[in-house]
Order: sequence, then structure tokens, then C-alpha cells
Amino acid sequence: MNNAVPTWEEVARDHGRRIYNFAYRLTGNPDDASDLMQEVLLRVRRGLSGYTPGSFEGWLWRITRNAFLDEVRRKKRRPTVALPEDDRSALGSVPAPEETLAESRLPEHLQQALLALPFDFREAVVMCDVVGLTYEEIGEATDVPVGTVRSRIHRGRKMLRGMLE
Amino acid sequence: MTHPTDLLSAFLDGELESADHAMVANHLDGCASCAVDLEGISRVRDWVRGLPVQDPPIPLLPALRAPRWAWAAASVAAAALAVGLVVTPAEPEAFDLDTLAGQHTARVVVSPGISSIRGPVSGP
Repeated sequence: MNNAVPTWEEVARDHGRRIYNFAYRLTGNPDDASDLMQEVLLRVRRGLSGYTPGSFEGWLWRITRNAFLDEVRRKKRRPTVALPEDDRSALGSVPAPEETLAESRLPEHLQQALLALPFDFREAVVMCDVVGLTYEEIGEATDVPVGTVRSRIHRGRKMLRGMLE
Repeated sequence: MTHPTDLLSAFLDGELESADHAMVANHLDGCASCAVDLEGISRVRDWVRGLPVQDPPIPLLPALRAPRWAWAAASVAAAALAVGLVVTPAEPEAFDLDTLAGQHTARVVVSPGISSIRGPVSGP
């Protein structure tokens, strides 16, 4: 493992796109994703001087997750942001299963299904399958045991399957 | 028979200890139900992993640009400058003023250390 402290430019260059895609899949909204990415990079720039070499992924994604939750709270009146507390009310927006047979529209339907997941499940699935974090890194970022991460990912995938098949 | 249902995703992701991995593998050899579940979970995982990668709509480098709410604040500041008002940024480190100013019709030159600006500003 490389324990060197990266520069802010290196973080932006190497992780910016992943941060944006994490935000995009959690919110389904490019404007909110852009705002979040910029907020995360600001926080990273401020926090790098105090960063102690260790699990950089855990540190970075904890900042990203906290920034996301802060952004959601700040924009909670905007209907385009899927709020953690509004998860269950969003379930009605998932397309009917027969509609999902159209392969060309799968990404769109999958995005809607992701937004319909309870936040903890959506976050775990996106961190695992979009960002590519290990269960241990997800646990560090979200401050839960690996067993909880395992359960959230599995239940999230099962719910997605139920909505799309 | 106890089905290791909750371990299937971790099995698929290679996130189980070797003993648990072997236990699930042995179970799958003789349980069609869990094999079907694993196949379905695997399909969903492939879908999510196959989602198109989105490119940020703005450049990441070289300058860190402010969130849209800060852009709105900067626009108000630029308007105030244009009519000769005094503006003192509350958090001057929060965004790159040169970058922001360069993308507005008004062009402002700010020297380091200056905390207020007086006078009209001309366009490019």
C-alpha cells in the first residue's frame, strides 16, 4: 500500500470522476453530483494537511459520504434529490417489470430502482459496484462493521432484482 | 437445510473468509434454489457495474470551482462591484475569485491582501 499523502491535484485527477459517479448514482441528478464533487474536493483540500497516512480510500469516502449527507440536508426541499428519509415514498416511481425488458432503457430503469432503495442499501451498492470499494473500505467510510456492509449490499441487490425482474 | 442466503453477495464478491467461501460453494453444488438466487444477484451486480461512466460536466483541474450557490453569490458581488459598492468576501478561500470573475462579463483585477474594492468596473 502506498502511504504517501497525495496532493490535492492528485486526488482531483485520480478520484474526481469516481466521486462524481458516486454522487450521480446516489442522486440521479448531474447538477447535484457536480455540486457534491466540488464540495468534496474543497473538503479534501482543507483536510489533506491533517491527513495521517493510512486507509486513504476510507478517509476520502468518509468525506464524500458526509458531504453528500450535508448536501442532501441543504437541498432537502428540492424534489430531484432522493432523500434518505424519503426513500420509501420513492418506490412508486420504479418502472413496471415488463418495461425493463427493453435493454436500451436498462440504465435509466436501473437508476430509478437505485433511487428507490433505502439510502443505506443504495449507498452500499453504489460504493461496491460503482466506486469499486472493498467491504472493509465501505465499512470505514460508513462507520459500520463489515457484516453490516455485507448485509446491506446483499439486501440492496435483492431489492433491485425484485424491482427489475 | 439452512441456506446461506445472506452470504451469496459476499461469496460473489470474494469477500468471505476461506472457510465460509468453501461452505457456500459446497452448498451451491447441491442447492438449485440458492444457485438460482446467486445467478439473479450476479445479474443485478453486472447491471450496476455496467452502468455507463458519467463524465463530470465541468473541468476538475486546474482550478477548483465553487458550487452553484457560490456562483450566485459571486454574481451578486460582481453586480455590486459594477455599481461601486464595497464587497468583503466572508470566506475568500472558498472559491477562486479569478476563475469566477473571468467567466463573467465584468473583469476585475484583485491584488493579494486586498479586502475591499471601490469604484466602477469596465467590461472586456
